[in-house]
Amino acid sequence: MPSIYYTWLPYIYLYGVGGLFFLSGLIIVKKAGGYNPLNKRHRYWWKVTIFGFFYFMVLHALIILAALYL
Amino acid sequence: MESHHSLGTSSDWIVMAVYFIAILAFGAYFSKYNRTTTDFFFGGRRFAWWLIAMSIVATGVGSHSFIKYSAKGFEAGFSSTMTYINDWFFVPFFIFGWLPIIVYTKIRSIPEYFEKRFSPITRFFATFLLLLYMIGYVGIGFLTMGKAILPLLPPEFTIFGFHFNVTLMGLVIVIALIIGIYITYGGQTAVIFTDLLQGFILIFTGFLVFLLGIDYLGGFGVFWNLLPTEWKLPFAHFNNPPGFNFVGIFWQDGVAGSVGFLFMNMGLIMRFMACKSVDESRKAATFNILFMLPLSAIVVGNAGWIGKAISVANPSVVPPDTNPDAIFVVVANIISHPGVFGFIMAALTAALMSTVDTLLNATAAVYINDIHRPVKKWLTKKIQSWKEEDKEELFSARIATAIFTFLGVLTVIPFSKFPTVYEAHGYFHSTLTPPLVVAIFLGVFWKRFSNSSVIGTLVGGVALMILGMYYPRPLIEFFDHGTAFDPKHPYTYIGALYNLFVCVLFAVLTTFTIKQQLKIVEKIKNSPNHSLIMASMVVASIVIFLLIAFNLLPMIVLVILTFIMVFFVVIVSNYYIEYNEEEKTNGLTVWSINKAKEYFKGSKINDREGEKIKVNWKLKEGEDDTIHFSKNDMKRMAAEVGDLVYISDTRKYLGGLKSCHTVYGEPHDEDGVVYISREHVEQGQFVKGHKLIAEKEM
Repeated sequence: MPSIYYTWLPYIYLYGVGGLFFLSGLIIVKKAGGYNPLNKRHRYWWKVTIFGFFYFMVLHALIILAALYL
Repeated sequence: MESHHSLGTSSDWIVMAVYFIAILAFGAYFSKYNRTTTDFFFGGRRFAWWLIAMSIVATGVGSHSFIKYSAKGFEAGFSSTMTYINDWFFVPFFIFGWLPIIVYTKIRSIPEYFEKRFSPITRFFATFLLLLYMIGYVGIGFLTMGKAILPLLPPEFTIFGFHFNVTLMGLVIVIALIIGIYITYGGQTAVIFTDLLQGFILIFTGFLVFLLGIDYLGGFGVFWNLLPTEWKLPFAHFNNPPGFNFVGIFWQDGVAGSVGFLFMNMGLIMRFMACKSVDESRKAATFNILFMLPLSAIVVGNAGWIGKAISVANPSVVPPDTNPDAIFVVVANIISHPGVFGFIMAALTAALMSTVDTLLNATAAVYINDIHRPVKKWLTKKIQSWKEEDKEELFSARIATAIFTFLGVLTVIPFSKFPTVYEAHGYFHSTLTPPLVVAIFLGVFWKRFSNSSVIGTLVGGVALMILGMYYPRPLIEFFDHGTAFDPKHPYTYIGALYNLFVCVLFAVLTTFTIKQQLKIVEKIKNSPNHSLIMASMVVASIVIFLLIAFNLLPMIVLVILTFIMVFFVVIVSNYYIEYNEEEKTNGLTVWSINKAKEYFKGSKINDREGEKIKVNWKLKEGEDDTIHFSKNDMKRMAAEVGDLVYISDTRKYLGGLKSCHTVYGEPHDEDGVVYISREHVEQGQFVKGHKLIAEKEM
């Protein structure tokens, strides 16, 4: 079994530190008015943005699990 | 390390020649759509998202990727995909912040944004740094192409009694000549369409290599079981070895690279600006990152994985010490038949051409906007018609492209000293992107980030980055996350974190002390010796910068002098350049995007939702830039006179090629008909008898 330095540590670091950048992006554009919740298209893109974050998170987790156990 | 020569057969060379001629002819056909410099650089801002998304694939995948990621795939496995699946963190900043700003402010280049947001002097700094970045990128492209084609050629050959040794540099020069000629006459529309075609071909080729490889190995199960577990993990080891580790690549590519890619890669930005609207650009960007990049990661890296599996199963076919930069070509040659190998190589090299031509086109755009026009405005008062001016600029753009092609070739020399293209690209990225990335990013998202702050950030950041190169220990060591020190190429990737940190440090310091700086400037202005004080500060700053650049004093003294220099620089910039925060941030930061939208339209925004309608077109008298719909059609579109409208041919597969943007004029009573001018017909290349689809923009 490869060490945690190959598996979950990079994963936690990527989505921990990357997640901070991502979250700060959401907060800043919302506070600044770049995202306007009254606009239908903006609401759509907001959902796509959040979906994208979890999509990659799941994708990476699945590849790690496949490598370790398949 | 095992090197390869004379791979492939004569039928492979025939296939490659035919492919190249077909691609050049395809591009030449679409160059007829370049009527103005806007068309040449931005493709007329008219294309549909899918067309741009696919053409971005060729630019992203085509670059150095096949060679670079196959090399890393061979050395480290699936973790070669890391950089393709770590770009999402900055997407909110991009699609809700930077993207609407670049479209609505109508900027034609990143340095132009710097002038609008800060001052003309920052435009100069930005132009210099951006050109360095882009020329370096062109150099990486040339180096990769040279490394891809070299294994196909014999080590030497004789023609008409003249003997030639085939060298990497000689090959790069020949490649540069071909590309220079192509891009000089093509322009952005040709680039978009050849990239569109190549986007499809590349994806096909990448999967073809994968399937042929799996078949060669005896099925997916055999391939999967041959790879060691570490090779199947999506991340490299956290901090080891120095040449390829997760944490360094996260900061170099995931942070500096992603922001650089989305915020300052002019080639990519020009693609988004070629989309018909902000919403279409968002679609193109998100589709590309969510779906095309993960697929591209497989496309570009799989030859390395296959190569590794073959080397485990049969080391005599692919020796484990094969040069990693040659693995793509070696594997493609082993797994495919004559002719198919030629096709794969043609697709690869043509794709590399796509990346380089996109970059060269973008570099020429920066030259025209940020050097040619300002200098011409400064030197001559001669008034030209826009057509004369446009013709002259197109000519200058072509000359500039040729010069940048030459400079790109020169940069290949230092890059070729790195063990692989991956390392060369990583070092280049971590060194050149941070100052501009920090400056653009904070300029867009931090209202208080002022003109003196950006100058302090660029000057101070670059100075401490230079010191970081001279003294990686202890300066970068502090940030190394346990990465080992490689004296030959110290901190290739994690250096990006240090570089970002020092730039942000100066950005924060200079922004939070702005009141104190202005007080000092006020005191100096009241002093009788104010001119002398200022001149002394300018001279002292230049002297300190030279001391740092040539490393003429002990490290600690140079670090202290950097802070003193930045103090002088911000005082001087506050003294000489007037900066009005209200004026300089209005419509230029994410905090005032609606203002940018109004600026774009030239009047109040009409956000009411309307329908898209299909209409027949008729020619109108006069050449003014308005088109006329019936009152009922205007109502259906929820449009008013003066609103912006987009009309295009109804055939969706054209992706907006036949379309144009214009303005609603006074309505008439003939439903289902739009009256347009001859200029609109020429701009949109509309065809008689074909209906148009119209939609209100804003």
